[in-house]
Amino acid sequence: MLVLVLFLPALYVFWLSLTRSTYGKSPVWAGLANYATVLSDPYFWTATLNTAIVVNAIVFGEFTLALAIAMLFAGWIPWRRLMLALVLAPYAISEVVAVVVWKFMMEPYVGPVTLALKAVGLAPLDWAVEPSHGLAMVILLSVWHHLPFTFIILYTALLGIPKDLYEAAQVDGASSWARFRDITLPLLVPAMLVAVVFRYIFAFRIFSEVWLLTGGGPARSTEVLAVYLYRQAFRYADFGAAAATGWLMLIASLLMGAWYIHQMYKRMFVDAAR
Amino acid sequence: MRRASSSLVHRHTRRVLVNVLRMLALALVLVWSAFPILLMVTASLRPPRDVFSTSWDFFAKAGLQNYANLWKRWPDFFHNLGNSLVIALGATALTLAVSFLAGYVYSRRQGRLLTASAFFMILVRLLPPIVITLPLFPAINWLHLNDTRTVLVLLYCAFFVSLGTWIMKAFIDQLPRELDEASAIDGASLAQTLRLVILPLSHAGLIATSVFIMVFAWNDFLFAFIFTAVDAKTAPLVISEMVGAIDGVDWGILFAAATLQLVPILVFVLLAQKYLIAGLTAGTVKS
Repeated sequence: MLVLVLFLPALYVFWLSLTRSTYGKSPVWAGLANYATVLSDPYFWTATLNTAIVVNAIVFGEFTLALAIAMLFAGWIPWRRLMLALVLAPYAISEVVAVVVWKFMMEPYVGPVTLALKAVGLAPLDWAVEPSHGLAMVILLSVWHHLPFTFIILYTALLGIPKDLYEAAQVDGASSWARFRDITLPLLVPAMLVAVVFRYIFAFRIFSEVWLLTGGGPARSTEVLAVYLYRQAFRYADFGAAAATGWLMLIASLLMGAWYIHQMYKRMFVDAAR
Repeated sequence: MRRASSSLVHRHTRRVLVNVLRMLALALVLVWSAFPILLMVTASLRPPRDVFSTSWDFFAKAGLQNYANLWKRWPDFFHNLGNSLVIALGATALTLAVSFLAGYVYSRRQGRLLTASAFFMILVRLLPPIVITLPLFPAINWLHLNDTRTVLVLLYCAFFVSLGTWIMKAFIDQLPRELDEASAIDGASLAQTLRLVILPLSHAGLIATSVFIMVFAWNDFLFAFIFTAVDAKTAPLVISEMVGAIDGVDWGILFAAATLQLVPILVFVLLAQKYLIAGLTAGTVKS
């Protein structure tokens, strides 16, 4: 079933990317022409640049915040279960509802956050008009929405660090910064890598947030790769170019996951054989 | 003597200060994560003209006017909410069945081919879904599955079987093999062992898996957007249409719809919080 639904289609996309096809016409062999079209399309490069900016900002913004919150939660917290529940809440929210919530808060002239920003003399985000503000809004929203994922991974890893290590360090007179640097950080590295790799791969897929907030506009200036692909395929019915974009995205995803794939490969085939 | 006590006082004020800062940080974190949701849910209960108001007269004026308007203006929304429920439950049941059996096999049997297929399942999780929609689109048209609830159930299941299997394997790995053997000695068939011994003992894994697939199937926008048109439309899709309505957004109705979509899954996730955390660790870090 998995092979049927996911693997065969991938091969079909590869074949499609080498042909010219649209609705109602059978595909015609086109070689690498689709790749040439896509790679010489300025909108493709806008989308690529936007994706690179948005994905990096999301992953590292989220990582920093999640690490700080995980450190906070590793210490004493009142009503821990309730607090955890509140931090996890955005995880349950649909992308669509997340967009509704953030649009509401940031609505020009009337949104509560817009008004609050104005009240303290800050300029609100002009996300509907200004492309860079639109992307900033996408980043903000995504960090908010996916923070629970990164937080949980780092938090559970933090809880897994043996307490006696800290006690021993304290007896030796290590400062709190030294304990963080020499115990917490090195023991947390594997979980950090997993969190970052997973978030890279998931953030790279970003579609709904952009589609629903800006629709890729104004003038296609805030498109990301998934939106670009969607437009090629389902608006312009150019399946060849869309498939070529798809393959480029797939390769990028695999490259981002390369470290994780390598680790899993080692653990599953090499370590298991030992 | 005096010096020692003053350093003690110093240390004490320092600790108090650190704790105050920590609680301040905690308050900020809570505002960041929960306030937006709370704001929208309360706004949905305000009178339609006042949805953007932030005044404190909330309890005096709270009512269900927006929900009544939703019922009047978008009667289909409740049908779409029903679609979401049927699809989410269907996808969850199917995924649990497949993942449970596959997880058992991966946990108890070994072999190169099995390892290779497990590795392939990890690889598959890395593919961006939008890329998969391209080849599926003609195939689904050809099968006449377009705009049916079946296609979404199958798609969501296909996307989560790999994570589900992974989580189930991690949980079943914790059950000692002696259980299977003892059950076999007692004369139980494999099916009986699975049903009577393994299934009840791996309920934590089943709940963890169902949290992930439920949240995804209930909330998904992309697949519903591409593969449904009229009949099988899900709630998130209709909410997205409300956002983009040409005759201006009716925020009150929008908040009512979003609240109805959000509350059930939020309650479910919060109830299953413990399992969500366990499943996330099993599905990523441990593996």
